[in-house]
Amino acid sequence: MSPRGEAAAIGTGPGRALVAVYGVFALAAGARAAVQIATRFDQAPLAYSLSAFAAAVYILLTVALAVSARRTALVACLIELAGVLVVGTLSLADPAAFPRATVWSGFGSGYLFIPLVLPLVGLFWILRGRRPAR
Amino acid sequence: MNGPLTATVIIGAVVLTLGSLVGAIRDRAMGMILLIGFAVLELAVLVQAGVIIAAVVGGAGPQDKVTLFGYVAGTAVIPPVGVVLALAERSRWGTAILVVAGFAIAVMTARMLQIWQGVA
Repeated sequence: MSPRGEAAAIGTGPGRALVAVYGVFALAAGARAAVQIATRFDQAPLAYSLSAFAAAVYILLTVALAVSARRTALVACLIELAGVLVVGTLSLADPAAFPRATVWSGFGSGYLFIPLVLPLVGLFWILRGRRPAR
Repeated sequence: MNGPLTATVIIGAVVLTLGSLVGAIRDRAMGMILLIGFAVLELAVLVQAGVIIAAVVGGAGPQDKVTLFGYVAGTAVIPPVGVVLALAERSRWGTAILVVAGFAIAVMTARMLQIWQGVA
């Protein structure tokens, strides 16, 4: 089921806990984006589009980690890190462009800054798993 | 929303979060107590969902019902998924998944209460 090389799979052990965290964020960001876009897209198209983009990244990462698709997970994780840094900076530098919050606004301040820490933990885990496990 | 029931769900979820955290730190896979605990939590979450749906049908509730039901559905899904993942991962990391699940239930239930009261 999972494409595993010589390195340990990233979807087991601590990786499975990471899958759970990303799963919760995929659910949170996905549901939030769906509600925002379905009910009031015209109020803040940029913020709500970014919410949807964040949700897509979280969903991709959840699946990629779960099936140990290392390269996909690595790319998605880098996109996630870039996303939270860019959106976090922009939301503070130009609040007018973000009249409504996204998961990544203020570096994820509405979510205990977990969105900022999560890609770092994810990158650490994905890259660390390249070596044979322990 | 039923105050005592909501409080029970939040307190129960926090207790299960802490219990799971202790288990993960002590390097234990999910045991019977946590399994039963999360089953009871799921039951309480479902009863709460029933109470909310009944109240909304009866004309009560906030303006933003879509978001409310998003939280209702989300909280109903999380405990069983968390337990299934914890059963698949029989190590401390399976118990760590329950920390995430319990914490998510506590936070989401609190958010649900805020939405119900029209605070946010």
